[in-house]
Amino acid sequence: MKPLMLQGHERSITKILFNREGDLLFSASKDPKPNVWYSINGERLGTYDGHSGAVWSIDIKWDSSLFITGSADQTMRIWDVETGSSLANLEMKTSVRGVNFSYSGTMIAYTTDKMMGHNSELSIVDVREPNNVDATPIMKTQVTPSNAKALSVLWGPLDEYVVTGHEDGCIIKWDMRTGKKMEVGQEHTKQIKDMQLSHDGMMLITASKDSTARLWDLATLEPLKVYKTDRPVNSAAVSPLVDTYPHVVLGGGQEAMDVTTTSSRIGKFDARFFHLVFEDEFARVKGHFGPINSISFHPNGRGYASGGEDGYVRVHVFDDAYYQFKFDF
Amino acid sequence: MSVDDVVKSSWADEVEEVEGGNLPPTVEKSDGNSKTITEYSLNEDGKKVKVTSHYRIEKHRVARTIAERKTWRKYGLSKNDKPGPNPATTITAEDVFMHFLSNKEEEQNEQEDIKKKLIDSQKGQVKCRLCKEDHWTKQCPYKDKLEPLRSSLLGEEKAEEEPPQPGGGPPVDKSKIGGGTQGKYVPPSMRDGGSKKGESMMSARGRDETATVRVTNLSENTREQDLQDLFRPFGDISRIFLAKDKNTGQSKGFAFINFKRREDAAKAIQVLNGYGYDHLILSVEWAK
Repeated sequence: MKPLMLQGHERSITKILFNREGDLLFSASKDPKPNVWYSINGERLGTYDGHSGAVWSIDIKWDSSLFITGSADQTMRIWDVETGSSLANLEMKTSVRGVNFSYSGTMIAYTTDKMMGHNSELSIVDVREPNNVDATPIMKTQVTPSNAKALSVLWGPLDEYVVTGHEDGCIIKWDMRTGKKMEVGQEHTKQIKDMQLSHDGMMLITASKDSTARLWDLATLEPLKVYKTDRPVNSAAVSPLVDTYPHVVLGGGQEAMDVTTTSSRIGKFDARFFHLVFEDEFARVKGHFGPINSISFHPNGRGYASGGEDGYVRVHVFDDAYYQFKFDF
Repeated sequence: MSVDDVVKSSWADEVEEVEGGNLPPTVEKSDGNSKTITEYSLNEDGKKVKVTSHYRIEKHRVARTIAERKTWRKYGLSKNDKPGPNPATTITAEDVFMHFLSNKEEEQNEQEDIKKKLIDSQKGQVKCRLCKEDHWTKQCPYKDKLEPLRSSLLGEEKAEEEPPQPGGGPPVDKSKIGGGTQGKYVPPSMRDGGSKKGESMMSARGRDETATVRVTNLSENTREQDLQDLFRPFGDISRIFLAKDKNTGQSKGFAFINFKRREDAAKAIQVLNGYGYDHLILSVEWAK
């Protein structure tokens, strides 16, 4: 397959995200300008100007009209996707680590960092009127000191609860109305780097620094599967084609810099594909020059995109070999 | 000398024409579903550069919302971008292929079985000169440690001893590794219980294989590949050791060839002893 290499960032990529329909690809990096691209041909639609620090996380509303970014400059901004203008700028006490639109797009959950005497918090704001966002959250809980700081956040499928991933490897489900902990999943031993939902919202996959990715049932937070690798996993995603191609892709790698004299045209860091059920690795795709920081399947399951420490976003479309591959069991 | 004529007779003509400093105009050819844009520009060294870009025009039927989004005006850093991908930001990377690892486990198991079989079959053949045990001499003083372990950790230990086998690397490195695995560097004179007179001339590594021949009177620019070509017709070779001068890499004049079968070795001796190779007459005999 001939991937598209998108070169719009000057620093390493922190997060990439497809919109629901799959035609737009958003990329955020440690430089303050997130980019948006057309995923079909890699054409850049635009960049969002306004942040002054690394953009840690992004999310897009289901209708692709609003785009939110959480940044290390202690603000969370809401943007209009069509024009690229900033609609709202919410200031926090510490850097914003995780942002997520609720399924209905009416609320945003975000987590802030534990810094300078402030605790890590999980808050929810109402954004039914994006031009006029009330900065006071409708729900706020202190994550620390009773738990490790929360880094990523995801809404449950019916907007009833929120799941957060923490620095010590546990994931916690919070009731949205009361702000109380509902369930805790403690299986990972090191920091959770990324959490993604499966396409149907029934399963959650977490990628952790402890070199594994785990699949959980979202309703009960019961651990279902473990995907083991030999290097820290920075991001993991579940293929939308769960029936025909039940695959999971993992991206990671923080090996010592022994990437020496291999061909310098394509990098050595690879995305690894595992079978969802059998937990067996069946394919690798090389290409990145640095560890992969974020990886995501295209919503139609026919391709995937990955963003790496090298600052490049690579968009791949699977060729026949992928579809014809039969996993022997 | 029409400048618009894209089909040129030779690049030499083209270069001559543009010496004046004016660049040919951009040529855009589109036919049906592909577009070829040929742009001329000056690169950093002031040299004329011709950039040919091929675009494929595809038509997709998409949902209305997606089509609407495609018509949006660009903003931010892309505000001044022309329609279509901007080559500064979008590049088609090299072809990458999915590297499938099917049946990895089975393959590994098979390999291990084969190794085990090899090792077991070789058990009797390998004999250390000093302790008559089942290993190569050069590592003997330290091999005792492995002996008691062997009974308990059969498979793993055999795998460790595997490297000395058909590897075909210079023996110097191997013995150092052998010594190294025990944790200490052993100088060449101290290896094998110290019975050698420096790097041995008489025997390559203390290998007690009956299918080994020694060939002497080789010319100094003989290489392993030459020996391979010379001895291969007689049968399978398990390894070739060519004594080389470390600094110059030239052959010291002798080599040891380990055949897999003794009869092949016998044949090689018969045929090649007295054979003229390069400018010297080879002497091929059993390695004592």
